[in-house]
Amino acid sequence: MIRLLHTADWQIGKCYGQFEADEAALLAEARFTSIEKLAILARDRHVDLVLVAGDVFDTQGVADRTIHRLFHAMRGYAGPWVMIPGNHDAGLAESVWTRAVRLQAMPANVHVCLKPEPLLLTALGAAILPAPLTQRHTHADLTAWFDGAETPAGMVRIGLAHGCVQGILAADIDSANPIAAGRAEQAGLDYLALGDWHGTRQVDARTWYSGTPETDRFRANDSGQALWVELSGPGAPAVVTPVATGQYRWLSLGFALRVASDIDQALADLEALGPADVVRLSWTGQTDLAGYLRLRESCARIQGRVRSLQADFSALRLEPSDADIDALHADGYLGEVIAELRDGQRPDRSDAEGARDALAILAGILHERRKGRAS
Amino acid sequence: MRLTRIRIEQLKQFRQPLEIADLDPGLNLFTGANEAGKSTIVAAIRAAFFERHRSAGVDDLRPWGDASASPSIELDFSIAGQAYRLRKRFLGKKRCELQAGTLHLDGAEAEDHLAALLGFQHAGRGASRAEHWGIPGLLWIQQGGAQDIREPVGHATDHLRTALNASLGEVASSSGDEVLNKVEALRNELLTTATHKPRGPYQQALEQADSLENAVQELDREIAAYRDRVDRLAALRDAHAVDEAEQPWAVFRQQEQAAATRLEDVRQIEAVLLSDRQRAGQLEAQIELLRGQLDVFSSEEKAVHTRRAGLEHAQQACQAQDALVDQWQAKAREASDRYHAARDSLRLARQEATRRDLVRQRDEWQRKLESSTDALAKAGAQQAALIDLQRQLAESAIDLRDLDALREQHGRMRELRIRRDAIATRLRFALAEGGHIEIGQESVTGSGDRLLTEPTRVNLPGLGQLDITPGGTDLVELGRQEQALADAHATLLQRLGLADLAAAEARHQNHARYQAEARAAAATLMALAPQGIDALHAEQAVHAARLRETGQALASLPAAPESATALPAVSQAEAAEESARQSLEQINQQLNQARLAAGNVQAVREAAARELAAARAVLNAPARATRLSAANQALVDARADQASLATRIEALARQVAEASPELLRQDVERFRRSAGLLERQHAERRDLLMRLEVELQTTGARGMEERRAELARDLEQAHRRADELQRRARALDYLINLLRDKRAILTRRLHAPLQRHLSRYLRLLFPHASLEIDANLSPGPLTRPGAAGPETGSFEELSFGAREQMGVISRLAYADLLKEAGRPTLVILDDALVHSDATRLAQMKRLLFDAASRHQILVFTCRPADWRDLGVGARSLEALRVMTATD
Repeated sequence: MIRLLHTADWQIGKCYGQFEADEAALLAEARFTSIEKLAILARDRHVDLVLVAGDVFDTQGVADRTIHRLFHAMRGYAGPWVMIPGNHDAGLAESVWTRAVRLQAMPANVHVCLKPEPLLLTALGAAILPAPLTQRHTHADLTAWFDGAETPAGMVRIGLAHGCVQGILAADIDSANPIAAGRAEQAGLDYLALGDWHGTRQVDARTWYSGTPETDRFRANDSGQALWVELSGPGAPAVVTPVATGQYRWLSLGFALRVASDIDQALADLEALGPADVVRLSWTGQTDLAGYLRLRESCARIQGRVRSLQADFSALRLEPSDADIDALHADGYLGEVIAELRDGQRPDRSDAEGARDALAILAGILHERRKGRAS
Repeated sequence: MRLTRIRIEQLKQFRQPLEIADLDPGLNLFTGANEAGKSTIVAAIRAAFFERHRSAGVDDLRPWGDASASPSIELDFSIAGQAYRLRKRFLGKKRCELQAGTLHLDGAEAEDHLAALLGFQHAGRGASRAEHWGIPGLLWIQQGGAQDIREPVGHATDHLRTALNASLGEVASSSGDEVLNKVEALRNELLTTATHKPRGPYQQALEQADSLENAVQELDREIAAYRDRVDRLAALRDAHAVDEAEQPWAVFRQQEQAAATRLEDVRQIEAVLLSDRQRAGQLEAQIELLRGQLDVFSSEEKAVHTRRAGLEHAQQACQAQDALVDQWQAKAREASDRYHAARDSLRLARQEATRRDLVRQRDEWQRKLESSTDALAKAGAQQAALIDLQRQLAESAIDLRDLDALREQHGRMRELRIRRDAIATRLRFALAEGGHIEIGQESVTGSGDRLLTEPTRVNLPGLGQLDITPGGTDLVELGRQEQALADAHATLLQRLGLADLAAAEARHQNHARYQAEARAAAATLMALAPQGIDALHAEQAVHAARLRETGQALASLPAAPESATALPAVSQAEAAEESARQSLEQINQQLNQARLAAGNVQAVREAAARELAAARAVLNAPARATRLSAANQALVDARADQASLATRIEALARQVAEASPELLRQDVERFRRSAGLLERQHAERRDLLMRLEVELQTTGARGMEERRAELARDLEQAHRRADELQRRARALDYLINLLRDKRAILTRRLHAPLQRHLSRYLRLLFPHASLEIDANLSPGPLTRPGAAGPETGSFEELSFGAREQMGVISRLAYADLLKEAGRPTLVILDDALVHSDATRLAQMKRLLFDAASRHQILVFTCRPADWRDLGVGARSLEALRVMTATD
């Protein structure tokens, strides 16, 4: 019985430009934390082996400090870590891996497979067949050699590759680095550990994408996990269990407002958000100014509660009501201005966006004034 | 609003009550001297409305020195048909009552009611100040304050606006301007006011994005370069590994070695060939030497023949030359004879020519001598004649002055005589036959007459005598003058030795004639002897001497030869002599040349003879024949050696050519170079690999891509922020423009009625002028027609008088505006328009009269005369006081 942890796509050194600086820093930090978590998980569950299926680093040119930090984060697990380079950290003539060797940053229990040759873990009874990327992109199937690879009889054959299984995944994933469908079957593998796809996905009975241990985008479904794999022996079925490792939940939410009560409903939904949430929020439909101001205030409040909230109001049309105008004391020509801005939001007007923004600003100013007077 | 009655008591100078009743609904004119209390009345009206009755800040209303006084004011007025009575008392007994029909208000309530009614405010505490006065503050012009319009309007703006809004039935924004200012402030945080360029945080965001963009691009370039080098490293490593395995240079080294061995073999053959060729060269030289020896022998024999022929030729030449010399000698003798003959002939010809010349000269001199002798004789005669004439000329000379004196004396004597005859006594007588008388000494008969110029005794014979004395002294005087003149005349004639004047005239004419003759004679002499007689004598002597000399020369010539006539002319003889001389010289030259040539030929003949002897001596030398045969034998041997050697050389040369050593040498070089090149490439690549590795290690350690990712993250943030700010700035701009547009539209609508009223007054005061109204409803720039088109100036630039007038008409316009809005209006002018000239003041009075048809107007003035034509009766304050007192 071999128990292993399958993970991939750590993308160490990734930066998050779409967030504010402090949030981005915390999200980047979370990637290291997830590795620490993995190590502890591996230690606590007494796994025999950790497989990392490529894209350990986000780029070749990470700082020396980053290399040191990564391997330091892995120290929690003293068993063997077997990794291959992916497309982001390909094993080029000069690469992050040669640097790691030069820096002597890699502990002895970390095996980086830079050549397509079997790694025999005799004590464990496992033969690892790696398909490391030695170019940034290749259009050849690097796992092809698995089929003919000789391994000692009685050893479990485990494939380790990074790329795109043909005919299964959507075309918009890195379509270079192809992997033939049914490779595990053809090559007689007991398990094929794949990387590149950031969400957890089972390809066939013995082939899995583990996904990234820490979610890094809104569209990756089922990410933030590692795979707990149990192989009872050569030819035995692989028992695969996803284990949550991620710190943050990435949510992309959208609310369409039509009637006043929609706001109540939406805000009630948002109440459920917590500090582990990274949220992208888009408002559509229309609201009166009072509703708009309420939304803004609510969003500001929620921002204090969640890790990150990016609220997009640009598609929300503002429909000031008479009550708004009264409430904001928008008498005289201000009333006319508001009416004009309301009309100006119509999609057929030349600067609907400007009108919407202007209306939002004006509502804000009037609201502030009213609050100022009230207090 | 219409004020009908004013009553004042214990207020400032009015300790006693003063009441002004029956105020006109239109114009009311109050006159009074300074200090009469005009301003006090105005102050009382103001205090009644503006000041809280409880105010402690109204001490100035108290009469001087009366601490216990309670200044009181009572006003009756009506607004919109409603009659009001306001009673107000300050300080001592504070009180305020307002009665309007059934409505009765007290204290602050009454005051607030009034403030709302008229449009002003009360001070929070203390005395009321200008900012509280609102509309009344604008319409009630204080002394010296008419020109000040902006501030009062400012204080009344809100009330005016309200009035205007009410009149328009519109609602202006209560907070629009505040919002607009706020929006502008927000916009100005992002964009510059003037040029709408990004500023502040917006500008910073743009700059940051820009600099990050550059940094990212820079890093991208570096990363691309780094990646290229990594790829290059991989390629180089592959190539290096292949070379290490194959060692391609080794093959070339072997090929080089083989070629070198072959080249060495060919080199040895070449060495043998070289030595054979040297030997062949030596043989060639030996044969050449032998041939030379044999040539010498044959040339010695040839020389004897040649020399002999040369001697014979020289001898022939000698003989020919000697014959030529003889011929030239004969010719020279003949030429010498011819020359001597020609010389004699020339001498004789010259002698005869000289003779002819001398004879001609002698004849010439003879003729000249005769001519000079003749000229000398003529000149002598002429000279004698001239001397005679000169003598006569001297004798006939007379001084022209003397002549003139004689002429003048003679003339005067004749004149005196005529005058004496004219006055003389004429004595006419006719005597009987035979009778005679004696007149003076003269005895006369017959008849006749006599002129008596002096007392004359006429002796009448027989009868006695008559003494006739001519009358008058003149006669006597004339007679004396004539006598004196005659004496002078006679003396002069005597001195000149002349008988009378005629003689003098004759002498003078003679003198003139002699003068002419003497001049002619002198000219003649001059022609005959230009240089004088002596020169003629000398010339004659010269001629005589030359004649003598010529004669002697002729005599000394030898006698003429007999054949003198056959002699040639001199020139002809000279030519003949020259020709003969030249001929002789030429022949002598030819002779000399011939002699020289003969000598040369002789020397040649002698040399040829010597050479022939020497050549014969060589031929006859002993052992010559032995040496000749030895040389012939040696030549034959050498030729045989040469032929066999040539065959061998040809064989060797063919061998070398077939091996082509140059190509072999090139092969060696080629293989050597190729191998070296490959080896060097290999070494260089090894070095390059090392260098590249070190470089990549260094560069890789910089973590460029992580850095780039961070920068890209920051850039994205900066872009996002810049976009947000841009969008915000655009929205703010949008909002500002919209707010301004709406506000402008509203302002125009609000201003229109005020503009209308103002224009009506302005037309009267400044024809064709237009006045703008600014946002605060204050008068703005005034535009008037000027000399060079319309001139626009701000209100403040007008003269004080004009500002005052403008101040008044603006207030009237505001009053009209308020009236239309149904607001109460009361206009008070306290000593206003004192700076206006007569014309303007007249216009202002027309305006006021017109305005009074709509508003009640109180005019206070200290100059009643200026306002007499206002159309209303003036009330004198002094009179009012008296009237109130009597009441």
